[in-house]
Amino acid sequence: MGLQTGTKISLAAHGLLVSWVAFGAWLPSEPLPLPVQEVAVISAEEFARLSQQIQAPEVSESPSPLTAPATSPEPPEVSVRPETRPDTSTPQSTPAPVEEAPVPTPPEPEPEPELAETLPVPEAPTESPAVIPSLPVPEQLRPADRVAPVPVEAPEEEVAIDDLVQPEVSPDEGALSEQEVQEATAPEAASDRIVTEANENEEAEPTPPVTAPVTSVRPKPRPSRPAPSAVAETPPSTPQTEQASAIEDALAAAIGGGGEVAAPEPSGPPLTVGEKDALRVSVSKCWNVGSLSTEALKTTVEVSVSLEADGRPKNGSIRMVSSTGGSAGAAKQAYEAARRAIIRCGAKGFSLPSEKYDHWRDIVMTFNPEKMRIK
Amino acid sequence: MRRNLTALLASLLVAAAPLLNVGSAAQAQNGPLRIEITDGVIEPLPYAVPSFLAETPAAAELANQITRVIAADLSGTGLFREIPATAHISTVSDFNAPVRFADWKAVNAQALITGSVSVNGKQLTVRFRGYDVFADNELGAGLQFSGTTDGWRRMAHKVADAIYSRITGESGYFDSRVVFVSETGPKNDRRKRLAIMDYDGAGVQYLTNSSALVLAPRFSPTGDRVLYTSYESGFPQIHVLDVGKVQRRVLSADKGIMSFAPRFAPDGNTVVYSQAEGGNTDLYTMDIATGARQRLTRAPSIETAPSYSPDGSQIVFESDRSGTPQLYVMPATGGEARRISFGKGRYGTPVWSPRGDLIAFTKQSKGRFHIGVMRLDGSEERLLTASFLDEGPSWSPNGRVIMFTRETQGANGRALLYSVDILGRNLKPVRTPDGASDPAWSPLQK
Repeated sequence: MGLQTGTKISLAAHGLLVSWVAFGAWLPSEPLPLPVQEVAVISAEEFARLSQQIQAPEVSESPSPLTAPATSPEPPEVSVRPETRPDTSTPQSTPAPVEEAPVPTPPEPEPEPELAETLPVPEAPTESPAVIPSLPVPEQLRPADRVAPVPVEAPEEEVAIDDLVQPEVSPDEGALSEQEVQEATAPEAASDRIVTEANENEEAEPTPPVTAPVTSVRPKPRPSRPAPSAVAETPPSTPQTEQASAIEDALAAAIGGGGEVAAPEPSGPPLTVGEKDALRVSVSKCWNVGSLSTEALKTTVEVSVSLEADGRPKNGSIRMVSSTGGSAGAAKQAYEAARRAIIRCGAKGFSLPSEKYDHWRDIVMTFNPEKMRIK
Repeated sequence: MRRNLTALLASLLVAAAPLLNVGSAAQAQNGPLRIEITDGVIEPLPYAVPSFLAETPAAAELANQITRVIAADLSGTGLFREIPATAHISTVSDFNAPVRFADWKAVNAQALITGSVSVNGKQLTVRFRGYDVFADNELGAGLQFSGTTDGWRRMAHKVADAIYSRITGESGYFDSRVVFVSETGPKNDRRKRLAIMDYDGAGVQYLTNSSALVLAPRFSPTGDRVLYTSYESGFPQIHVLDVGKVQRRVLSADKGIMSFAPRFAPDGNTVVYSQAEGGNTDLYTMDIATGARQRLTRAPSIETAPSYSPDGSQIVFESDRSGTPQLYVMPATGGEARRISFGKGRYGTPVWSPRGDLIAFTKQSKGRFHIGVMRLDGSEERLLTASFLDEGPSWSPNGRVIMFTRETQGANGRALLYSVDILGRNLKPVRTPDGASDPAWSPLQK
């Protein structure tokens, strides 16, 4: 009985395997590399000292008193009082007690301006005061500072005032083509609040730097999962971050792209929060409430306006939709200030995306001066 | 299984896409875009006032002077800024010719005032129109004032009042006068006289000589009389002076009784004042016609500086009943008073705003004096000034500006009049020929 071919092959293979295991050590092979690390011999004391540093330091139950930081012998004395203060017991302009009443002085020998025998009767403009040259406008101790939403530092003297910031451009010498000269412009200096004589020093006095930590740093929370995309579907009215705008842009573009299928009329994507904010800021720059009455400053007006495709307002379309908080007269003043803002800042066209014209063709702007009453 | 789920989701999305688009389209179609603007700017409104046209040769000088007074009135408020004539592109050569708004827009003039002046003998006629440049229309109808040439300043003030009112929506204060105490001489020998002038310091005239110390003049509600305190008899007594006739009489003539700090009631028939008797100072009222008096307070403290509310129902005054001078409000007929000032410092000389919504006061705090305003309940206190010595606020007829006394320190220090608006802006001196104190602003002249 002869062996089958498969059995022969199996026997041959197993034989080879046994031979390789038995005689493999005779085959040449490279020794494995051994890592070598230099070490230093340390004493038992050093080892004990190193081991102690790992242990937690001992903390005393009762805190020891801190030594006061070195300071100057005495703080500098702040003198806010005048050299010779008036009697503060009677700040009002009423007369002093009788014992302090000054004795009336007799008429001075020196000539005095003549007393008016009769003064013009305060009736219609027919009275006859002495004709004198008109007085120059008195010097203002404190200029009527411009107050704007964002403080602006005073520009350089030679810079023209404009809402737009642009550098000066002068043509290159020897240029072959004609180059446009551009004048440097910068916004007018402004403060973000009214600075009175009484509170101007509050800004001037530097506050001492605080070096000590006020609160301890809390550990960072575990990263949260991304918020669901529903946030973008209901944009809040407050200004959004760039990220939010980007999300809105993407969503608006996605929705707009599908609009080709089902929209009944050509309609671009809606304005993003960022685009609305840009429009809001543009109008704010020209909304001057400085000359409004206090009642008009309590009046909110809704103004509707239609825009041309290039972003310029159609002046004839501007009208007041509604008003709240003031009389009809105050509403009229508030509306006129709002209308001036729209016309002035829209004269060059509001910067709005032309592909979304359907969405900003008609706008209702609510001018709410609540924040501007006492800025 | 997974394949089936993916297919289901895809079909749902496909089905929902048209719905989303319909919603956005509807939003675009259904209404206008809505935005809310809450931030603006506060700055003077630029305006142009080309020199008024002289319609007669005699009117040339007056036309220019009237134009300058109008511009000084408007710019002096701090609410308006005149665009200088050198920047004008357009000229106005005909009062009735259409205005080229584009030229005025180009120089950013938001308001434009044009006018003409004619003189016929002593008769002066001033016509004017105001324009809202960016709205391409008039600010109300044009007006015309007629009077004598001597009254040209008042006519200019009236024009400025009308323009101010049309732009701001509140009445002006330019056609008004101020009575004050004129001061000359060094601090230790100061001579004081009553004087009256236009609100802008023009046309100063003296009402008393300097033979007796005078203090704290106050206008009547109609501006025809002035109350003041005089030391003519050796101790303070209240006098009333007819401004037109410059005639005066003593109102309180009780010997040995000091009366001071008088102020008219809104009806003009009653005076509220302080009376010191036996070392105690309380508030009283007096009927001017009959001399009948009524005592309003009975406290061992000092009650002084009373001021009526515009409707005459309440009185704000100063009292040290709490230990330091503070402000209190009580009914005009007397009764329980409620304290309204609670800040750190000493409060005095309260004056009720003609609008009735604010109370102006003097405050001393940390060695400095302030003029400030607060609400009727003491809230929203706002200090408008700060200096060595500010005191004695007086309201403009429209309640927008406060005039007060500022005294500089030192032996050569002098008192001057200053004005500031109720937001603390536009602080500036009022020009007077000499030192001046205790200003009292008249109502608008009729």
